[in-house]
Amino acid sequence: MTNPTTRRGFLRGGAALAAAGWTAGAGGWVLRPDWANAQAGAIKVGIATDITGAIAPSGNANWQTAQFAVKAINDAGGILGRPIELFLEDTASDPGVAVGNVRRLIQQSEVDVVLGGITSAMREAIKNPITQRGRTLYIYPQLYEGQECTPHLFCTGPTPAQQCARLIPYLIKEKGFKRFAMPSANYIWPQLLNKWARKVIEENGGEVVMEDYFPLDQLEYSATISRIMSENVDHIFNTVIPPGLQAFQKQLFEAGYYDKGGQTCVYFDENTVNYVAPRELEGVYSCLDMFHTIDDPTTKALIEGYNAMWPGTPYQFTAGSASTGMYRGIKLYEQAVIATNGDLARDAVSEAMNSAAIAEGPGGPAKVIAGTGHVEMNMYIAQSVGGKWEIISSESAVPPQECA
Amino acid sequence: MDDVVKLAFDIAAFASIMVLVVSGLAVIASLMGIFNLGHGEFVLLGAYTVYLFREWGLPIWLGMLVAPFVVGAFGAAVERSVIRRLYAQPIIAMLATYAIGLIIREIVRGLIGGQYYAIEEPIPGSFSVGGLSFSIWRTVIIVSTLGVMVAAWLFLTRSATGLQIRGALENPALARASGVSTDRLYALTFALGAALAGLAGALMVPLFSLSADLGVRFLVQAFLSVMLGGVGSFEGPLLGAAMIGSMVPGFQWLREIPGVGGAVSPVVAEVLVFVTALVIVKFRPNGLINSGRR
Repeated sequence: MTNPTTRRGFLRGGAALAAAGWTAGAGGWVLRPDWANAQAGAIKVGIATDITGAIAPSGNANWQTAQFAVKAINDAGGILGRPIELFLEDTASDPGVAVGNVRRLIQQSEVDVVLGGITSAMREAIKNPITQRGRTLYIYPQLYEGQECTPHLFCTGPTPAQQCARLIPYLIKEKGFKRFAMPSANYIWPQLLNKWARKVIEENGGEVVMEDYFPLDQLEYSATISRIMSENVDHIFNTVIPPGLQAFQKQLFEAGYYDKGGQTCVYFDENTVNYVAPRELEGVYSCLDMFHTIDDPTTKALIEGYNAMWPGTPYQFTAGSASTGMYRGIKLYEQAVIATNGDLARDAVSEAMNSAAIAEGPGGPAKVIAGTGHVEMNMYIAQSVGGKWEIISSESAVPPQECA
Repeated sequence: MDDVVKLAFDIAAFASIMVLVVSGLAVIASLMGIFNLGHGEFVLLGAYTVYLFREWGLPIWLGMLVAPFVVGAFGAAVERSVIRRLYAQPIIAMLATYAIGLIIREIVRGLIGGQYYAIEEPIPGSFSVGGLSFSIWRTVIIVSTLGVMVAAWLFLTRSATGLQIRGALENPALARASGVSTDRLYALTFALGAALAGLAGALMVPLFSLSADLGVRFLVQAFLSVMLGGVGSFEGPLLGAAMIGSMVPGFQWLREIPGVGGAVSPVVAEVLVFVTALVIVKFRPNGLINSGRR
């Protein structure tokens, strides 16, 4: 439960209440740097993420990550001496609600850059209000299906090539999985990712037995799961998302599938325990740009810093919930603004983003591939064992292979 | 054969949830002539009670036992304060219940911060019979639904109070003349309907997750059930609910028939439920059972 007596708890509860329409003038939160005279010349960064609704645990992790990253920058003197001021709007896990709120970031708060959006449906809904009508730079932090080549839009999460190019051959060749099922939420990310994954599965000698799309909030999966059991599926490539995810995982577990076959879900991470029971994560494979278990001092220090800033938070600093992309996005933006020598004009920063790179970050270094709007990063294949993500293999500087 | 058993179990489980949700709605609609548009939020309150118990560190099963009483008491209060003034104007009463529902939903949304919460079952896991595994909690729901329905039916048809309720419905003036307090009976009926909603919410929340919109998604299907079953009786809507509840997983299973699978995607299956129900209502506008109590 939110503890309203702490400032932080009050902020979180307040944001949630505002999003639920409870406070007058419902809307954004501003987090001003606590320097004297910081107002003059602050760089305005807008965060649009899902503070409420079905994927709120991911959205809250993103917002906490943004504050964590910005605090570190401000504590170190800001960007070229200018502090960052954060503006939050809740996208409420609902693209319909989001568009109006995001517009407020641009028209009222007049932010210099917007970071956020978690699902691809959300990105599709808010990208035009931001980049075209809003003429503002947009950084999308979540792993996604690829093919997003809109100008002035930078994707700082991993692409299908980064997530699946090695994972799927590993599952088939090393683990011996052959018969795949693809239960999916009915929207653009599962549809395009499945198309990509199916190709790789078939090239490697596997077979896709079934590919089903469900309404996002479907409650009843008995027919699909029964078919998974009777068709002797030995691996599930899962792209169901909350709120349907909870019922799907529970019913899959109760059907006894976990004793029979494996499962991959490429957004599952340490934050997923906010959505499903730990028993339903056991044995699941994932491939992301960071896990808490990787052996990297920078990553460890970042997670420690985050946990120290947010003690006791249920919302972890993870990759599958877009937090690594959020952190990376803010740090790359910082590099770009340094490169323009403080010019915040969209075209100038966008141009500078093309050669932005950070030597240290969650999971390792990251570098924007010029002209593609995508980022090269380290990738890790891991399996959830006894509540921990055990690293199976890692690869450095994996190219995104998008928009080339 | 295995598939048939599995199908029957899945259908029974989902139909039970629908029957539980609809029973409270049916009691109030059929016996009092009021469509409680806030019914979904009574279901939500039942689920929220369980969540509160968990937050307070109390056992979840205790929350489930207490939920019907909490929501029943709440229903009685609503009846005393609002509904009883509106018996002469059913449309206004309906709008009032909608407003009450909206208030409850938004308050709960504020209280849980617009989040979704997973609630564990008091008895997790599954058991297997003959190589097939069945969810324990779904079995509990099926058994509880049967028990509650039998109890409600016995109460309405066999007990003295049940007789009074039916009598008061048939002819309120005569009932009052015979010394029956119709006021008290209506309050009791409304509280009973609310308690059933609370129980439904409490039992089903572990299968899904708690969010402010939990009730909304069942409300439309519940009203469809009442339309399908007919308003006059207690049994009619329950039959309707069992049918709607069977169609939801049933149509998903249609896809297992060779040749049909490609045509019926899960999205189409959800729509088919409504289409089928509406077609039935078209041909039986008074519902499946329309000779019941009036």
